[in-house]
Amino acid sequence: MAERSFKKEVLKLHAGDGDTFQGEGILAITKGLLQSGVAYVGGYQGSPISHLMDVLNDAQDILGDLGVHFEASGSEATAAAMLSASINYNLRGAVTWKSTVGTNVASDALSNIASCGVTGGAIVIVGEDYGEGSSIMQERTYAFAMKAQMWLVDPRPNLTSIVDMIEQSFQLSEASNTPVFYMMRVRGCHVTGEFVAKNNVAPEFGTKNSVTPNREAEKIILPPHVYQQEQDKIAKRWPAAVDFIIKNKLNEFFPGKHKDLGIITLGGNYNTLIRALQRQGLADSFGKTAIPIYVMNVAYPVVPEEMVEFCLGKKHVLLLEEGQPEYIEPAIHSILRKRDIQTKLYGKDLFPRAGEYTAQVTLTGLTRFLEVAGYSNDKHSLSVDDVKKLSSPLSDEEHERLLSVVPARPSGLCTGCPERPLFSAIKQVQKELGPFHISSDIGCHSFATLAPFNLGNTIMGYGLSLASSSSIRKALPHKAISIMGDGGFWHNGLSSGVVSAVFNKHDGILIIVNNGYSAATGGQDIPSMVEPNNLIATTMDAASSERDDSVSIELACRGAGVKWVKTVSTYSIEEMKQTLTDSLNTAEPGLKVIIAEGECMLNRQRRIKPLMKNAIAKGKRTVRARFYIDPKTCTGDHACIRISGCPSLTIKPSTDSLREDPVSYVDNSCVGCGVCGDNVHSAVLCPSFSKIDLIHNPSWLDLSASTVRRSVIGWFEKYDAWKRPGQIL
Amino acid sequence: MEKTGTDTLSKQQPKTINIILAALGGEGGGVFTNWLIEVAEANNWLCQSTSLAGVAQRTGATIYYIELFPTQAKDDRKPVMSLFPSQGDIDIAVSSEIAETGRMLQRGFVTPDKTTLISSSHRVYGITEKSDLADGTMDSSTVVELANKYSRQFISFDMAELANKHNSVISSAMFGALAGANVLPFAKQSFSDVITNSGKMVATNLSVFEESYTQAQQIVAGDNPDRKTPQVEIFTPETAAATTAGFCLPSATSEKGALLLERLKCDFPVSTHELIHQGLIRVLDYQDFAYATQYLDELSEVLALDTGAEQYKLTTITARYLALWMSFEDIPRVAQLKVRATRMSEIRTEVKAAEGQIIHVTEFFRPRAEEICAILPRALGSAMLSNRWSRRLIELFAGGKKLRTDSLVVYLVLRTMGSFKHIRRYSLGYHHEMKLIRGWLYQIKEQVAANPQVALEIALCGRLVKGYGGTRERTSKQVSVICQNASANECISAEYIAKLRTAAMADDTNEAFYTILTES
Repeated sequence: MAERSFKKEVLKLHAGDGDTFQGEGILAITKGLLQSGVAYVGGYQGSPISHLMDVLNDAQDILGDLGVHFEASGSEATAAAMLSASINYNLRGAVTWKSTVGTNVASDALSNIASCGVTGGAIVIVGEDYGEGSSIMQERTYAFAMKAQMWLVDPRPNLTSIVDMIEQSFQLSEASNTPVFYMMRVRGCHVTGEFVAKNNVAPEFGTKNSVTPNREAEKIILPPHVYQQEQDKIAKRWPAAVDFIIKNKLNEFFPGKHKDLGIITLGGNYNTLIRALQRQGLADSFGKTAIPIYVMNVAYPVVPEEMVEFCLGKKHVLLLEEGQPEYIEPAIHSILRKRDIQTKLYGKDLFPRAGEYTAQVTLTGLTRFLEVAGYSNDKHSLSVDDVKKLSSPLSDEEHERLLSVVPARPSGLCTGCPERPLFSAIKQVQKELGPFHISSDIGCHSFATLAPFNLGNTIMGYGLSLASSSSIRKALPHKAISIMGDGGFWHNGLSSGVVSAVFNKHDGILIIVNNGYSAATGGQDIPSMVEPNNLIATTMDAASSERDDSVSIELACRGAGVKWVKTVSTYSIEEMKQTLTDSLNTAEPGLKVIIAEGECMLNRQRRIKPLMKNAIAKGKRTVRARFYIDPKTCTGDHACIRISGCPSLTIKPSTDSLREDPVSYVDNSCVGCGVCGDNVHSAVLCPSFSKIDLIHNPSWLDLSASTVRRSVIGWFEKYDAWKRPGQIL
Repeated sequence: MEKTGTDTLSKQQPKTINIILAALGGEGGGVFTNWLIEVAEANNWLCQSTSLAGVAQRTGATIYYIELFPTQAKDDRKPVMSLFPSQGDIDIAVSSEIAETGRMLQRGFVTPDKTTLISSSHRVYGITEKSDLADGTMDSSTVVELANKYSRQFISFDMAELANKHNSVISSAMFGALAGANVLPFAKQSFSDVITNSGKMVATNLSVFEESYTQAQQIVAGDNPDRKTPQVEIFTPETAAATTAGFCLPSATSEKGALLLERLKCDFPVSTHELIHQGLIRVLDYQDFAYATQYLDELSEVLALDTGAEQYKLTTITARYLALWMSFEDIPRVAQLKVRATRMSEIRTEVKAAEGQIIHVTEFFRPRAEEICAILPRALGSAMLSNRWSRRLIELFAGGKKLRTDSLVVYLVLRTMGSFKHIRRYSLGYHHEMKLIRGWLYQIKEQVAANPQVALEIALCGRLVKGYGGTRERTSKQVSVICQNASANECISAEYIAKLRTAAMADDTNEAFYTILTES
């Protein structure tokens, strides 16, 4: 059950010929796939295409009705291997993942399919994020496309172009027998807009109509075919692709009155370019431009004929190529040089070599181009200096002042997150036995490397923490510690990590954070589940699992040869500390696996909230718990916050006029996970924490006990009130 | 229908209206955006939105960017809209929190010629602010000052409080403020219709919307006297001391109280009255009249030496920390506070318990042997602590406890514990704290003649003393160490002590503190 539900939105996928479809980029892509008669889809979630997986997942009924097969693949490699269905048969298929990391994982299968080629259209929808908030290293999928000879489509980010290019990508793939990358940028994935829909097309073959098994020996990756496939790529597939791109006008030419100038842009950067031109008074609201533009909706291969056609007769041409290193720029230089065309080409000399082409960056680059191209100030409205000033009206001194007060807001674990008590426990054990070197992994638990836990030294990739500890383990003063999520474990960690560690007699510790979901990417289901426990203060009985096909992480580890496996609830901090200490001190050889179990709180709340509401409405006795900090006993040291970092554990001004420091405070978003209380006990904190149980629909026992208590305590309170006047000023 | 103005936008050639929104996770930024899209569509405007969740769908700020464009009949051309907000090209910036507003200013998304800036004035503290050992909170006044200076119009009030009041969410308040800001060419009705049509929490969301709309309208019309200085919650440690002007000592309600107040009035300068009065209330509540008298005795000695500089700052500061220190939190004090009659109703309000709803309150205690022995008579307590066997016995009673204060037995036990205050003056803990307090006061008095600034800095070190158990040991040790240093080193400077004090609050491992100490 993913974090965001698209159950309602996916109904829009039924839209037919002529209907106006309104929605988000990822929904439009899905519609584009259905309109193209796709037969199978798969992928692995990760920003910015997580929602595409969620949409596909929620659209399973619609996919099923059409006869489209969908799989939530075990990893990007699994997804890439799905494309093999398009090798021998006229089946259109699409898979998706986060690039560049997903492409790296998938690269084995991708190289193979790129070599043997496809019969049915095969596209790989990759999400790239060059922005400053990106959680992946900024590498270009472009490099992979070039070395494997796959085409790379980079459409203009409006829904009509996005949808059209999906269909054309399939056609391009089929015309050139080559798989195609279809690249989306993060903003394009989330962009909203509208397009005119077409009817969905059922695939020719698929769940409803089987193919006739067909063996083509020359498509197998063995000699002598590999050699021939390489020849085909160059001699047949590439020219076929270029031919198709030209004939079907996949790239676009926009004329402009300044015929001696030109701008070449990738489709994905088109809108930002137009905005920059608009601000220079060189384009109108509808994109009518004064400077001719050549839009490369196909970023790879570069089409020499079109390039020549565009540049011929122009004095100055600007290229917008986001990311580094630049590949298109030298390609154009080479084309122009070979034809002896003297057009001056500008690119990374006017634009930054690295980083995202934001609005400000694009406007700066464009303005520099206008100046070097000899356009004086009166012809365009903003000079380079003007643009520089636009970056902020604040003075340097004011910037400094703001910088010094505005606090950073690093990512952190959610309210009630089961991983928080785990890291509290590790931090406490580290205080006794540390400092530790910890090999971390990808997932929500990566946030433990940030404040307030500051635990973790390296992150090498998804499911690779244990593997990455194998070299350092002999050089550490303590047993190597690796932390891995359940998502990473199934993606890669079991084989690259656990199996390899057992084989090599690794005697370190692997902590597997089992929260039951691929939580960091939006709470998608994974093979294992976590048993809902009742250790959490909120006493609503967690509903039992919805899935009956869950696979146990513990059994998987034991099956891989691990002898020492302990499963501990993360919410039992004392037990976790003890288990960690034991695992660090034991003389027993071999890998020690601690499965730290606790359900993702976001998912848990999503499930429990309606149940609780229902129970209260039905008159069932229901207890809802949350925590409370006594502002009178809190002295404002905030030690509780330093070992927790829970968003609901915050501060507020002290009500005590003598105390200056803010006191700790639990806000109403508290879900009553109980970690604060456990920390009080395990870390010897102050006596300010209380758990408050709110009783809905009390039983007669509750009521009578409460009446007795209230009346006796009430009597004492009255007595105090009578006695008190003698004790005040 | 009230049509709002479009004077920011060129009339001749349709242009986009550019809106940027910063919201923290769970604040309904997505809902806000969807509502705005619906408003635009209802008015036949095209809307394009996109969002950037940062790394964090988790706890970070999400930035939404929205462009609106008027469609015209007979024109089927589609506008090209940007997916990136541009510096210097934002018509409306909305922020759900004042620090995020600061970030928008920093990034150049607010410009005086163009941008209407709508921001809630409340704070959602960042982890560095929260985890500070003392007060690490940001001073919002810089942001407010620059927001006023660099926005075309700054509409700011506490939208979180408004939403909270109605049990609603902040997105409704931001939506109301946007409608009330008179910057979008849409009628108010089309905003409220969207909320009504949503079918979710309609009544509460609408009341928040209405109230927020009105507040924004008042600010736009200039009716709000706070317009240029919206109320922002700022902690200023000095305020309590600085507000002395206008403070009038209340009359006493008891005979003994009258004596104390009379002494305060006659012996102490007016500027110190308010703080000492609060100190008196506290120590009296903590112990008894004799203790309050003792408090005044100690202060008189400091006052006698005070140069009177800065309105008797030395005495005022000493009064503050002395009262806090003298009412140190031992077991009887904690028990006393836990069974106080007003506590239950405070808790009920805080957790939003319904009228008459039963609540159970479970306290989490973790006393160590030290805290238990601290309430024993001095000789017995220290003997038991130093003996291995008796210590072990005591430790049977120490450790994690969960106690239901709403239950009779626990209530009575805590009451009894609270009554131990009557023997407090004989306890080991009292003796221990008094020794520390006297050491600190002695040092203040020692230094004042030769170097009043040093005395003042030592007095300020009283702020360090806080926490329980290990924290308390660490912090009071720091004060002792500072006092020892001052006593041993005749030419110690006020700056050095200030530096030590800051270092003491830099981390909870003493690392920074001892680094400074060993440097010299």
